[in-house]
Amino acid sequence: MSDKQEFEPRIIYILCSWCGSGGGETAAAHHLHYPENVRPYRVNCTGALPTVHIIRPLIEGADGVAISGCHPGDCHYNDGNFRARRRVALVKSILDTLDLEPERVWFRYVAHGEGRRFVDTATEFNDHIKKLGPNPLKTRSDT
Amino acid sequence: MNNKGAILPAEDGVESAVIGWLKEALSKKVFDALLIPVEVPAGDSFAYLLLRNPALLENASPLPPVMPVQGAKAISRLTMRGNGSKRVAAIVRPCEARAAIELTKLEQAHLDNLWLITVDCPGVLPLSDYLEDPVAGAARFAEASQRWDRAPMRPVCQICHHFSMPASDLHIGTLGSAEGTVFVIPGSPKGERVMENLGMPLDAALDDWAARVKEMEEVQRERRRQAHTDLKAGIAGPDGLLDVFSSCINCHNCQRVCPVCYCRQCYFESAALKLPPENYLARAGRKGALRFPPDTLLFHIGRASHMVLSCVSCGTCEDACPMSIPVAQVFSLLADRAQETFGYVAGRSLEDPLPLVAYEMDELHQVEQPYVETYHGLQIADCEQEVQDA
Repeated sequence: MSDKQEFEPRIIYILCSWCGSGGGETAAAHHLHYPENVRPYRVNCTGALPTVHIIRPLIEGADGVAISGCHPGDCHYNDGNFRARRRVALVKSILDTLDLEPERVWFRYVAHGEGRRFVDTATEFNDHIKKLGPNPLKTRSDT
Repeated sequence: MNNKGAILPAEDGVESAVIGWLKEALSKKVFDALLIPVEVPAGDSFAYLLLRNPALLENASPLPPVMPVQGAKAISRLTMRGNGSKRVAAIVRPCEARAAIELTKLEQAHLDNLWLITVDCPGVLPLSDYLEDPVAGAARFAEASQRWDRAPMRPVCQICHHFSMPASDLHIGTLGSAEGTVFVIPGSPKGERVMENLGMPLDAALDDWAARVKEMEEVQRERRRQAHTDLKAGIAGPDGLLDVFSSCINCHNCQRVCPVCYCRQCYFESAALKLPPENYLARAGRKGALRFPPDTLLFHIGRASHMVLSCVSCGTCEDACPMSIPVAQVFSLLADRAQETFGYVAGRSLEDPLPLVAYEMDELHQVEQPYVETYHGLQIADCEQEVQDA
């Protein structure tokens, strides 16, 4: 086995409490599995997700942060997902300018009924981060 | 914008012409008070004064050689709780006016009874350079600004491309004016009313000024692009970035002096980041070691995510940094890129909504991770294998 395959990323999966988390519930009801190193983190609405909560895990030990909210038009609060998209775009712009690998942040809509899509996103993101390798910031002690 | 202005005679220099004009406005009761930088009695700095007695205008300076306090902070403090009953004219630099506009959108200032008056800005000296010898500094500034030489100015002033008229009510155009004169340019109906009250007919063509501003702006844009390319090479990646911010002493001066960092309680100084020892020990365990006080990089990147969309590249943060970290340069780069993402320019106008307040339904699809069909990842292959084995 090569080193790359042994690398098990730490992944934070930020889910809104209406759609993203619901996707997880549907996945559970269907007995679908997703990698155990993906840690779900529930927030009330992705539109209310502070940008710091995306940046902080990347500095403190996560290899990737995925964010799932409702599909456009489905938001429980009407426009939270559009606001979240703007915030993610802002964080990605900052990470991109500083060459801090914006591809470690994923934003994908998952609806309450989409258990398959939830599991797919977790699995695909996990594979994607495995290919990228460990996040260099998480081992830096001088942050 | 009206494309006509008025010509103000300025035989004794721009400063005295502007002050004379303001004095007239104050005594004619066109304005009830001025918010203007005035040299402090000790003669080694400048401070904003809310000035009501025209006789005290003697030591005032519309273009001081340094920016010890960002003017937008003064405007915000004055009008945070609402519009005043008196008409106040604030004489600020273009970046200060732009910050004031951002603060108004953030509901930290009210501009209904306040006139923003700006002057074509040659930049300001770094505060530390000036304080070494204020007299020589003032002379150096006067000499350099005469020639529009930005070399002695702050690095962020050297690459400033918003040095001329922002969305201010009145602007003093010194570029492209005939010897011994300056332009007075109204930028809003409010500004036009003032000129009417002062009996200044709008009869001067502004083509010379506009052409000169445009020409200089192109030069500055190119300089900015070049400087940002060089800067980006220096701060790229975790290594470059941590090298730049490694000398940070966590004083948070950059945040405290920043005009658009207005939060009553800064997240980075809040209890949210003051954690029990177990938390730090766990993090030190993961990383091998943890720098103390912690969260230095989080402070800078996190602060950027809070304010770059309103950052006007005024450079006050860099002046306040005791460790000479090029904060303002890094933030000007981050701000340009982030604002570009949303097609927003901080301080451009009061009408543009703040990017994190507004949204479009059909935009920014580049940040959405596409999902076309079911992902056949390892998980599924494993399951299929299990089924086959069974």
